[in-house]
Amino acid sequence: MAFFEQHMHPVPKTFLSKYIFSFDHKVIGKQFLWYGIFFLGIGGIMALMIRWALAFPDQAFPIIGQFMFPETGGIIPPDTYAMLFTMHGTIMIFYAITPILIGAFGNFCIPLMIGARDMVFPLLNMLSFWLAIISGLLLVGSLFTPLGAAAGGWTSYPTLSTLIGSPGTGQTLWALAIFVLGVSSTMGAINYITTIIVLRAPGMGYFDMPLTVWGLWLTAILNAIFLPVLGAGVLLLIFDRVFGTQFFLAGAAATSGAGDPVLFQHVFWIFGHPEVYILILPAWGIVSDLLSFFARKPAFGAKATALSMTAVTVLSTLVYGHHMFTTQMSPLLTQSFMTLTMTISIPSAIFFANWLGTIWRGSIRFDSPMLFSLGVVFVFGLGGLTGLYLATVTTDLYLHDTYFVVGHFHYTMAASVLLGGFAAIYFWMPKMFGVMCNETLAKWHFWLTMLGLNGVFMGMMVVGYAGMHRRIYNPFIYEHLQRLIPINEFITWSAILMGLSQIIFVVNFVHTVFFKKEKATQNPWNVGTLEWTIPSPAPNYNFKEIPVVKCGPHEFSNPNLTTGRDFQYQTEELVKA
Amino acid sequence: MELLLAIFGRALAFSVNAPHPIPPSMSLWERMLPPVDISENGHLIDWLFSYTTYLNIFFFTLVCIGLFGFSYLYWYKRHPKAEYTYGNKKMHIIVATVIGVAVFFGVDMNITRMSNNDFMNVFAKWPTAEEDVERVEVLAQQWMWNFRYPGQDGVFNTDDDVLTMNDLRVPVGKKVLFQITSKDVIHSFFIPNARRKVDAIPGRITRMWVKFTKDGKWEIACAEMCGTFHYRMAAKLTTYQPEEYATWLAEAEEKALVENDPERAEMYWGWKWEY
Repeated sequence: MAFFEQHMHPVPKTFLSKYIFSFDHKVIGKQFLWYGIFFLGIGGIMALMIRWALAFPDQAFPIIGQFMFPETGGIIPPDTYAMLFTMHGTIMIFYAITPILIGAFGNFCIPLMIGARDMVFPLLNMLSFWLAIISGLLLVGSLFTPLGAAAGGWTSYPTLSTLIGSPGTGQTLWALAIFVLGVSSTMGAINYITTIIVLRAPGMGYFDMPLTVWGLWLTAILNAIFLPVLGAGVLLLIFDRVFGTQFFLAGAAATSGAGDPVLFQHVFWIFGHPEVYILILPAWGIVSDLLSFFARKPAFGAKATALSMTAVTVLSTLVYGHHMFTTQMSPLLTQSFMTLTMTISIPSAIFFANWLGTIWRGSIRFDSPMLFSLGVVFVFGLGGLTGLYLATVTTDLYLHDTYFVVGHFHYTMAASVLLGGFAAIYFWMPKMFGVMCNETLAKWHFWLTMLGLNGVFMGMMVVGYAGMHRRIYNPFIYEHLQRLIPINEFITWSAILMGLSQIIFVVNFVHTVFFKKEKATQNPWNVGTLEWTIPSPAPNYNFKEIPVVKCGPHEFSNPNLTTGRDFQYQTEELVKA
Repeated sequence: MELLLAIFGRALAFSVNAPHPIPPSMSLWERMLPPVDISENGHLIDWLFSYTTYLNIFFFTLVCIGLFGFSYLYWYKRHPKAEYTYGNKKMHIIVATVIGVAVFFGVDMNITRMSNNDFMNVFAKWPTAEEDVERVEVLAQQWMWNFRYPGQDGVFNTDDDVLTMNDLRVPVGKKVLFQITSKDVIHSFFIPNARRKVDAIPGRITRMWVKFTKDGKWEIACAEMCGTFHYRMAAKLTTYQPEEYATWLAEAEEKALVENDPERAEMYWGWKWEY
């Protein structure tokens, strides 16, 4: 379908239609941003509690421990510890990173960057947010059930997550919350895919789209295909728990018939491995764009980067078995999954080369979005390379379910995505809220976060290789792990540093959004993509006149330019010699 | 590093009266090493890990040279005019392709081949009935490990079986073949000193074989989240020299004949052994 012109929304008059039940993609994006930041805070505090228990298992958690666990004198009890890491994983993946990167920036950037007035299905967009709210309420509500929240890990493997291992309502509510959130994300994904296909401004081919939009588009495709699979999986889990079916029960636990607990692992990881890329693809796209914007140079091999990201998207669906090597599947499957997993590094190597090619012979400005983008290149390099140990089956036999895995996936999913998200927040702040963040604070935020997160995740890989396995409340009951006490304490102090440095961000963000008087200019970063051709903050209808696109998104430092700018807007004809 | 650990770890941790285990004193490097390898083939895994690490260090150094080097050289005050290129010249495409191919064949297929050889020729090459192996059945449950030896008749699940709880004793110098299952939830049988683990899954039997080379006392852990007391699901592993093992086994078999109660139904959790 070709392009069609949307009508202009009337300006909403009431508080309710403007801020709460808004159809406007920019408002929904901001709603998702607040939602994500709220859960990021909760998930972060949970992470600190987990870290505290690992380093100082016999000491009270400072400040809030006494109020939360009066029976134990402030020490985190073991059952609470299990709930903490389960909820930390669930919240960070589904309620913090997904809303910030996909919910907030997907919503905000896609129409603005492709020259549309709104998403193609504004009502669906609003529903998607409100379903996410319902899901969040279900999840938070599960914390207050009699036996507490889900405690089987974010992967919730049966039979631990069936009534055999988790009799409480918390686990059922967890599954329900994930199901509802899956519906919400699928709605969003359908919306994104359709919008990008039908609403690109006239003249904009797929390779004229900024790479941010490419990343979000590929993410949306994976979301639309694989979230329903997870939905089906957790629905079966709910059936097992509530209606007494036996999909995932086996052996002595099954009273009749026989299901298979490993079946759930297949269903979960068919979704779960693409999920990793669902989280990271938007960040890759954003980084690919920002590196070019701040190096004042066209993105190096932009087409190859876009196609590599597409290749990763396709390959990501074929490799999930490497999460299940220790379930001892057929050696043939083991070999296939090992080899397929390795092929992902070809496209990854290509866009890594392109990222470095982009800053090569550029003219680099180290503004905060650029710092965070370079940070993503650094941490994703580490995260990607350490994946090799887990892809080869023999090393995985030792490293599987140890802290090495935890460190590895935090580097790829947490560190890279978090830094990419912060880059996006600092970069689009003027277009979202019409104000610029304080640069000095942003740079402090960057360096302290970098220091903290490398201490945490590098430390995790070190203790993992030294033999410390995952999800244990007190590692030091094992004699062979007692030598890791000092390293664990170091990790915890790094985590505290990382946690505290987020206060800088919150102060900066809240102050900028609510109290800053000085307005941002229309195009503070001197970038030529479509969202910078309109005033800051973006007006209700986005584009009065639908723009006509005449050149690519990364036109910087063209020697033939005579306008006195070093960049071209996408609405300008490409200047040739 | 050690100093940093000391400052951050011990000085600020206000542990005065807590029964915190005291970490043994050793260098940071020693702390970072994996536990002693007590198996015949554990070194294959250690070797592949080190090999991958060297390759990774090489490639990550390249990334860092690019990242920090370009950041330094092309800072806008040092390099005010960026080069106008899309990176679509023939040379650029060749360089990117070479990097992709070098990584794929130089690293990926290289370590995949090694890992695959080790896996197919060693770790997944199961001992057969003809071989003289020590057989042990393992039943995991929340939160303990049950071990079963066939006893004097050499047949599993009979009333002369030797049963132990959280206490595995095996000989060195002989393959030990484990068959593992679980009673309730998924567990994972992890012997850090042998660099190996395998999941214990209700409804199916998984296998693991190890040939131990060092005698001593070690630990077995559960590596898969299995509930609140997952962290306490530890078992002791004792590796004996063959003669000591024979002595212990003979004693244990005698004792089993006397102490096992054939009327107790829970005793028969084992299964018929098939290779």
